[in-house]
Amino acid sequence: MTPPTQGYGAIVLLVLALGAFGAAAWRVVQLYRLLRLGAADDRADHLGQRLRDELLIYLGQRKLFKRPYRIRGLGHALIFWGFLVITWGSADLLLRGILGRHMPFTDTVWYQWVLDLFAAAVLVSVVVAWIRRALVHPPHMHVAAQGYVILALIGSLMLTLLTFEAAAVASMRGGPSSVDLMASRPPVAALLSPLIPASAAIGVFAVAWWAHVATVLGFAVWLPNTKHLHIITTIFNVGLRKETPRGALALIPDIESKETFGAATIRDFSWKDLLDGYTCTECGRCSDSCPALATGKPLDPQKIVLDVRSQLLTEGPKLLVDPTAATTPPPRWVGSKPDELWSCTTCAACVEACPVTIEHIDKIVDMRRWLTMNEGDVPPEAQRSLTAIERAGNPWGQPPDTRADWAKGLGVPTFAEKPDAEYLYFVGCAASFDRRNQKVAGALVRILRAAGVSFAILGTEETCNGDPARRIGNEYLWQMQAQQNIQTFKKYGVRKVIASCPHCFNTIANEYGQLGGEYEVVHAVQLVKRLVEEGKLKLKDGEAPRELVAYHDPCYLGRHNGIYDEPREVLAGIGGVEVVEVRPHHRERGFCCGAGGGRMWMEEPVGQRVNHKRVDQIISVRDLMATDGATVSKVASGCPFCLIMLDEGVGAKGVQEELKPVDVLELVASRVEVSA
Amino acid sequence: MKILVCAKQSPDSTVRVKVAGDGKSVDAAQITWAISPYDEYAVEMALERKDADASTTVAVVSLGAARAKDSLRQALAMGCDEAILVSGPGADALEGLAVARALAKVALEAKPDVVLCGRQASDDDQGLVGAALAEALGWPHVATITKFAPADAGAGSVNGIDVWKEVEGGHEVWRATGPVVLTVQKSEKEPRYPSLPGIMKAKKKEIPEKDVASLGIDASLPRPEMVKMEPPPSRGGGKIMKDGDAKQTAQELARLLREEAKVL
Repeated sequence: MTPPTQGYGAIVLLVLALGAFGAAAWRVVQLYRLLRLGAADDRADHLGQRLRDELLIYLGQRKLFKRPYRIRGLGHALIFWGFLVITWGSADLLLRGILGRHMPFTDTVWYQWVLDLFAAAVLVSVVVAWIRRALVHPPHMHVAAQGYVILALIGSLMLTLLTFEAAAVASMRGGPSSVDLMASRPPVAALLSPLIPASAAIGVFAVAWWAHVATVLGFAVWLPNTKHLHIITTIFNVGLRKETPRGALALIPDIESKETFGAATIRDFSWKDLLDGYTCTECGRCSDSCPALATGKPLDPQKIVLDVRSQLLTEGPKLLVDPTAATTPPPRWVGSKPDELWSCTTCAACVEACPVTIEHIDKIVDMRRWLTMNEGDVPPEAQRSLTAIERAGNPWGQPPDTRADWAKGLGVPTFAEKPDAEYLYFVGCAASFDRRNQKVAGALVRILRAAGVSFAILGTEETCNGDPARRIGNEYLWQMQAQQNIQTFKKYGVRKVIASCPHCFNTIANEYGQLGGEYEVVHAVQLVKRLVEEGKLKLKDGEAPRELVAYHDPCYLGRHNGIYDEPREVLAGIGGVEVVEVRPHHRERGFCCGAGGGRMWMEEPVGQRVNHKRVDQIISVRDLMATDGATVSKVASGCPFCLIMLDEGVGAKGVQEELKPVDVLELVASRVEVSA
Repeated sequence: MKILVCAKQSPDSTVRVKVAGDGKSVDAAQITWAISPYDEYAVEMALERKDADASTTVAVVSLGAARAKDSLRQALAMGCDEAILVSGPGADALEGLAVARALAKVALEAKPDVVLCGRQASDDDQGLVGAALAEALGWPHVATITKFAPADAGAGSVNGIDVWKEVEGGHEVWRATGPVVLTVQKSEKEPRYPSLPGIMKAKKKEIPEKDVASLGIDASLPRPEMVKMEPPPSRGGGKIMKDGDAKQTAQELARLLREEAKVL
């Protein structure tokens, strides 16, 4: 096609294009300078994985297709892929219009067909998206006028594109013309072309062409000022996402020499936190999945991200003009939102749900760090648990010399008694002090014995791994706890660790390395699966009647560490046991029990209790199964905190007799065959 | 306002206390020490005054073994301005009256407007020192208080102190003029969590030590003496009755309660 830029047209277009891209570039530079206000955060690791993420998450739109957003995700993916194809075409239009050159492939029949089909697909998706926003108000999507304007702009881009293409096709009806033939006859344009009389084709072509190009340029100017900026920032946000294990929080190195801790101002957040703000598209998927928000707590993960952004955009420019503004009181907005911050269970449902890999938990914990360490501003119950960890080495404040009492009479050796043991069983505070969970520790001991695993415990030399302290924001206490355990591990030459608690597991496996503690760590369920596969652990076949067991995914096994299959396989391998999924809140959409992030030790006075909602979900699945005559009699988990929360929940709902919370290990232990 | 808080170091509430071999003292091995809880409330109450009026200064004094310095650092980390340790041979063995006399010397030197003590220590539960200190100083004393505030908010020295005191079914407000000794029931808020910068600052702070011998306490005064210390008897295992129907079980239960437990 010959662009309608004869005469002064090319010059007009050149001036417009320079103006538009200049304005956009100015804004982008400003945004970049604001980003540089953030604290350092080295993300130059895992380059191969980062490339893979770009291909799968950015280009492949993988996270858009997560349950339950598959159809909506397809709509987005069509607009996105269409945008890639059409942006190529837009560059081609500008090149042709200004220089008379063209982008590669744009003359090929296949490109013109692809362009044409995507333009139509995008147009349809935009209309559906518009209707959805207007009629079916998405619960947590932030729907503002801006969103409609963006949709209208995209729609008009597609309409003008299809119009001038149709005009080009139509112009062929009157024989050769000054417009080149659209000989490829792309299908949608061909379908529309009869609407345009041949005589008016050249005029329509010119008007639609200019309208299209003007919209492209207008969009370019406006884009960096809107949430639509995500089409650019997502490239970086995905490519620079945290590639260390999700469950690992960042270390504060050399903590004793620091003067402030955590994040209270935009300077304290890392540049990546600020980039997260630029990238948020206000889709609300994080909020959709947040257990705190779903139970009436003041926390909204989307708002956390947007608050960081609005702080940056309002306070940042002042800091750019006057760098000494740092000495004036910083925007201490963090102190105004403690109830939001303390509601988080760090369950990672938001992180899992975010299509553009925003890291919510790290921000929340960073702000908690400021509250806890800088201000000493901690909810009283959380403070008690921190003090208990400091003084007694466990968050319940139980006498530390009773830590190994659960093992009395079981003949469990300590490392001091059996220094050549292969595995350390790191019992954890819950299984050491909580009566219900002591039975789980006993169950694991039976299993390990039956499989002939060489293991020992640390006895009273064990101390809290530090997870609650770290997640409540007391990094200092976490480091002290971790170092104490690492010292003890070193004393006994521990290399392999078994944890029955996912929080112990996560901290020792993913975080102790930050302080030099590198071990081979397994969660007990993983080990059981291996022992069964290797034939070392034999489970009695089920002469027992068929038993339906619902499985509850602990967040720190599932979302934080990707351990979804092993517990299910272990359960299914127990004769007679059939695993029931708590749909739709299973696997990566599992719903938190409410105890993570230090919430185990905090009161929950606002809204519904998270564990009650979780038990409601399990009960409704049980009731659904019951209509088919099937009886779900147990709910299994792999986490001591989940067990405590589920126990309380079934008690409160009065179903403790019919729906018994158990640990997977207890079910395994009840079928263990002890060889002579 | 100038506040002096007396804080005793005692075994932390998470510790399972064991009787030492001599049968009349606590086995000090493996004990985590902390500020006695009522004294911690006293520290918090003093700091709440400081929050309300930044010109307030809070000093904290502890009398006891050298390890009490750790507890003084805790108080400094919470926000106290200065700390004084009274220690030396025999300091941790002084009984209440002698402790009160020693603290009185410290108070006379520090010249506070208010002296705060916890209502009793968590280890001996004597509840003597606060009242005895008031007597030794010749100052008035109000017990089991929950709040205090300057009666006259005008500039300059404090003309009077209003004191809220818990009583059965309500509270009373008392007014004290001049220096006063208050023993604390509970602060308005839970004792604060020290910030990390506070902990770091407290680590570097100098804590002056006074030798208890230099205070001239007469050790020959009459004093009670600990004779014997015993833990509570250990609880026997419970009995679970599983067999039999409800009627049989009830009859068996009644028999056991009457004949074995002898409570019926």
